[in-house]
Amino acid sequence: MLSIKDLHKTYPGGVYALRGVTLDIKKGAFFVIIGLSGSGKSTLLRCINRIHEPSSGQILYNGTDITHLQGKAIRQVRSRMGMIFQHFNLVPRRSVMTNVLTGALARTGTIRSLSGQFSSEDRDKAMENIRIMGLDGKESHRIEQLSGGQKQRVAIARALMQDPELLLADEPVASLDPATSTSVMTYLEKVNKELGVTVLCNLHFLSLVRQFGTEVMALKDGHDVFHGLPDEIDEAWFKKIYGDDAVEVTIK
Amino acid sequence: MEKTLMKQTKALLTDLFLGCYTVFIAKKVVFDLMLRGERHLNYELTESLWILASGALLGVLLFALNATSPGRAIQGIRKPMVKSRAKSPLTWVIVTMLTLTFVAGLRISQVSMQEFLSQKGFQGVMRIFNQMLHPNFGILEMTMQAALETIFMALMATLFAIPFAFVLSFFSARNLMIQHRVLRIVYYASRFVLNMTRSIEPLIWAIVFSVWVGIGPFAGMLALMLHSIASLAKLYSEQIENIDDGPMEAMVATGASPVQVVWFGVVPQITLPFLSFTIYRWDINVRMATVIGLVGGGGLGTLLMQYQGLAKWSEVGLIVIVIAIIVWVMDYASAKIREAIK
Repeated sequence: MLSIKDLHKTYPGGVYALRGVTLDIKKGAFFVIIGLSGSGKSTLLRCINRIHEPSSGQILYNGTDITHLQGKAIRQVRSRMGMIFQHFNLVPRRSVMTNVLTGALARTGTIRSLSGQFSSEDRDKAMENIRIMGLDGKESHRIEQLSGGQKQRVAIARALMQDPELLLADEPVASLDPATSTSVMTYLEKVNKELGVTVLCNLHFLSLVRQFGTEVMALKDGHDVFHGLPDEIDEAWFKKIYGDDAVEVTIK
Repeated sequence: MEKTLMKQTKALLTDLFLGCYTVFIAKKVVFDLMLRGERHLNYELTESLWILASGALLGVLLFALNATSPGRAIQGIRKPMVKSRAKSPLTWVIVTMLTLTFVAGLRISQVSMQEFLSQKGFQGVMRIFNQMLHPNFGILEMTMQAALETIFMALMATLFAIPFAFVLSFFSARNLMIQHRVLRIVYYASRFVLNMTRSIEPLIWAIVFSVWVGIGPFAGMLALMLHSIASLAKLYSEQIENIDDGPMEAMVATGASPVQVVWFGVVPQITLPFLSFTIYRWDINVRMATVIGLVGGGGLGTLLMQYQGLAKWSEVGLIVIVIAIIVWVMDYASAKIREAIK
């Protein structure tokens, strides 16, 4: 459903983030990208929904070239791609409900959304997504009252409002403790398996990769150095991806 | 290479300026006015040229000797001293210049201990203070009327300024405007207008508006409003520049339109700081409204000006007391409110 061909990204100022990445993601996959910090994982995800502009290469989404779409056209594509972030990126000082509803902004008129008039279908759907994420009864809580894991689940509920075919998850558990990490990953798995959303996820912990991933790709200095199954990453590959001094840390 | 040349040029220009300045101060102020006791600075063409020439020579000398060049020091291209024990010659150059400036400053601002400590002057002050400490409560009603004008003038100026400042602040926020070429032009234009407006004191605006709409609170309000727009827009836009980009990024990722991105990604992060700045601005405006009254902006200031002109110090005393109370209450209340909404 998503294929990327020879994608390059150079930031203004000459920093190379991506130097020719090619990948193919099938519908329903839980596709994991691993690699050191600064290897280009986040940039790759942001190039897919074009928050960052790729310098060259091609992005095909359901067979359509979306590499150069502008304005309304790219917003249309974004509206069907959910995204969650390491730091949750929720709207501060607003309720869980409002935050989840922002996932429906693209299909709500500007004037209506500014005055908070979301359609009743969207409100029902928001309640449903809050329930799916196990946050019943927290609709009117402010974001500041939630724990880190709960915040990330609000972010997933927001992404679900977009009826996403693809969910981009940029290090979704990197700022959470181990127990919460597994819990959030389980919710992501639920989204993937039960709701049929294809997930593209950046991760740091190999144990999580093995537990949840169906396919894995490794980035190093902007190059894709490994494509395969999670189990195929052995000691040798590990050293190659993370450097000779690296030692694997497990998370249970 | 080009950069060093640029720095060298800047350093040389700085040295030339400082050289001319030093010679001018030394010759015209310290020598002529203070040592020879002349009453005024007299300018003659030949002498001016001499000062310029010798100042330029001094500047070039400072620059050429390297270790003595303030210009090079500012640009960071002065060669380090090898002998570190001795006081750097630059220190002597700077000390000399500062001393000359201080001495000349005493003469130019006509600092005089004799007049400060004179018996007659002291008695005069005591007489005024004495009357001011016996305020005339007969004009209390009129003063309260004027106080009301001042406070509401400040309030209306603040309220009218909010919508303008709010909109302008988004146009003057670097992080929102810098990406697109058209927006960047709007950004620079808006920054320029705000800076110009802010750099003109409300006192001047009050004079302009009292000619425009006539002397009174309305003129004062307009002056305060204009200055408030410029100041608030600056404060607001700095707040926008300091927000967390995360929520904005998330809103972009949902496919939201640019207006929606700003409304949901930016506005929730800035409402409280904006409110806090606005209350503080009202507090400042009340204080400024008094000053603006002096040039015809109405309210307490105008009243104060009238009685001061008539040398009615008991009345002035009452007005001063009322001003002090209002300023103190506003200061206290605005601090408390700002603390509460943090």
